[in-house]
Amino acid sequence: MHERLSFHIKRDSAIHRLNPLTKLTLVLTLILLAFLTPWYWTPHILAVIFIPILSVIGKVAKEYFTTALKLILPAATFLFIMQAVFQPIGEEIIFHFYFLDVTQESLMFAFRNAMRIIVMVSAFTLFLLTTHPSELMSDLTRRGLPGQFAYVMISTLQILPQMQAKAQTIISAQRSRGLDTESTFLKRAGSIFPLVGPLVFGSLAEVEERAIAIEARGFTSKQVKTSFHEIPDSSNDKILRWSLLFLILVSIVLNLWHS
Amino acid sequence: MAFINLQNLTYKYPLTKTPALQNINLQIDKGEFISVIGANGAGKSTLCYALAGFVPHFFKGEISGEIEVDGIASSKSTLDEWVVNVGLAFQNPFNQISGAKYTVFEEIAFGLENIGVPREQMKSRVEEAMKLTGISNLADRSPYSLSGGQQQRVALTSILVMQPKLLVLDEPTSQMDPIGTREVFEVIHNLTQSGMTVVMVEHKVEWIAHFANRVIALKDGSIFMEGKPSDVLTSDLLIENGFGVSRYTSVAREAKKQGLWKKEKLPVTLFEAAEGFKE
Ligand SMILES: Nc1ncnc2c1ncn2[C@@H]1O[C@H](COP(=O)(O)OP(=O)(O)OP(=O)(O)O)[C@@H](O)[C@H]1O
Ligand SMILES: [Mg+2]
Repeated sequence: MHERLSFHIKRDSAIHRLNPLTKLTLVLTLILLAFLTPWYWTPHILAVIFIPILSVIGKVAKEYFTTALKLILPAATFLFIMQAVFQPIGEEIIFHFYFLDVTQESLMFAFRNAMRIIVMVSAFTLFLLTTHPSELMSDLTRRGLPGQFAYVMISTLQILPQMQAKAQTIISAQRSRGLDTESTFLKRAGSIFPLVGPLVFGSLAEVEERAIAIEARGFTSKQVKTSFHEIPDSSNDKILRWSLLFLILVSIVLNLWHS
Repeated sequence: MAFINLQNLTYKYPLTKTPALQNINLQIDKGEFISVIGANGAGKSTLCYALAGFVPHFFKGEISGEIEVDGIASSKSTLDEWVVNVGLAFQNPFNQISGAKYTVFEEIAFGLENIGVPREQMKSRVEEAMKLTGISNLADRSPYSLSGGQQQRVALTSILVMQPKLLVLDEPTSQMDPIGTREVFEVIHNLTQSGMTVVMVEHKVEWIAHFANRVIALKDGSIFMEGKPSDVLTSDLLIENGFGVSRYTSVAREAKKQGLWKKEKLPVTLFEAAEGFKE
């Protein structure tokens, strides 16, 4: 069992000190830029230069590159190959493999799309690495996101691994009573059925208890909630957010104008 | 007037035929430490829910009679107002973890955030509460990484930190070892000394005998017997009706039949038993 279930790494950096909403806006801007700007090389520059630099500023470069190498790069490579091979565009065939043709256009196309995906995933990774989930939740509720909504979001993130662990326990328990979960698909589909009961009905009673527990701690209180974590929101944050929004607007306009 | 006043309280869960609580009359003074015992299904948890406002504000169903705490009727209050004065912790610690917090410290602060306690007070209140229940060393751990007994302490602390006037505990030590149980009883005992009122469902009769002011024995939703622990926990009627008693009581009871126990009164704790057999 992990001691901590969030990605967040507690460090003191310029990015950690940004307001969560500012960071969220930054993520959104990066993604939109990667997808909208007409210039072919934008996503490449963001993925290869800009985001890695941000990870260094955020003092999470090591963790960022580990995730990138283990997770993001393999996925993007797979996507690249699939699109390069199956994209029926362009004339100039570079090479030929049985019935598959790879053209220069399809290569270019696939390359850019892979880079876009890298921007998207790595921007989020960076966000998660530098943002405390409780801070994010408090900040968003303070800005008017309904408390219940924020609670569901964040507790799901936390409780999912617990549910998984519980499903595993139930499976082991059922298997030790002779339940077959390892043979053919159909047989397994049938034998999964006995697992549903304990997981769902166990959960319903649990949901009731959970509701009582958080209610007992004033969750539906009409008082204005306070937050233990001090959430930074400087004037720099505001300026940055407005600039980012402006950037988004510009890229949208450029995109419309070009097409 | 008594701090807590239950008057002819009868309550039936929705879709059930027999009431879970029947004609309960109970007065509790400020600072009392009350222990509730009874078999499975006797209505102990339901009584806790009634005191904590969840019956009838959360569980619907039919209710009659009065529930009053500190002069306010539960029926005239709302749940979110009620929980500020009455704290509830129950048995399964896992389901009491909010799931919204990543450290024990934040978990305990959750209730304070909800009721709008200013940040400056929060830190000291949480630290104080953790010190009280002896979990200061767990502050930075994830609540999910703790043992059942530790989680129970966190659940208890999360309620204590809100400084309720009445503390309702439903088997709060079920997953604790003997040392942990003793410590929790001592903490609660000390709190009652400083004016908190406590109602606690508990099976560990030796500790009840040691610390509680009064025992309420529930059977089939009604109060079967009520009184001082040393009287109630040694009564023949209680034993004959299937309530669990201390092993020292059982031993002394057998011994009495064979003329080996000379005293009039049966013991509950080891100490009392040893004293009695010396004679
Ligand atoms: N949510 C519910 N809906 C319907 N009936 C309920 C509900 N909760 C409890 N009951 C019923 O009310 C009665 C009293 O239950 P309660 O949980 O108060 O008993 P208890 O003394 O706490 O038992 P235990 O020792 O098992 O915790 C039981 O008959 C039970 O079946
Ligand atoms: Mg119960």
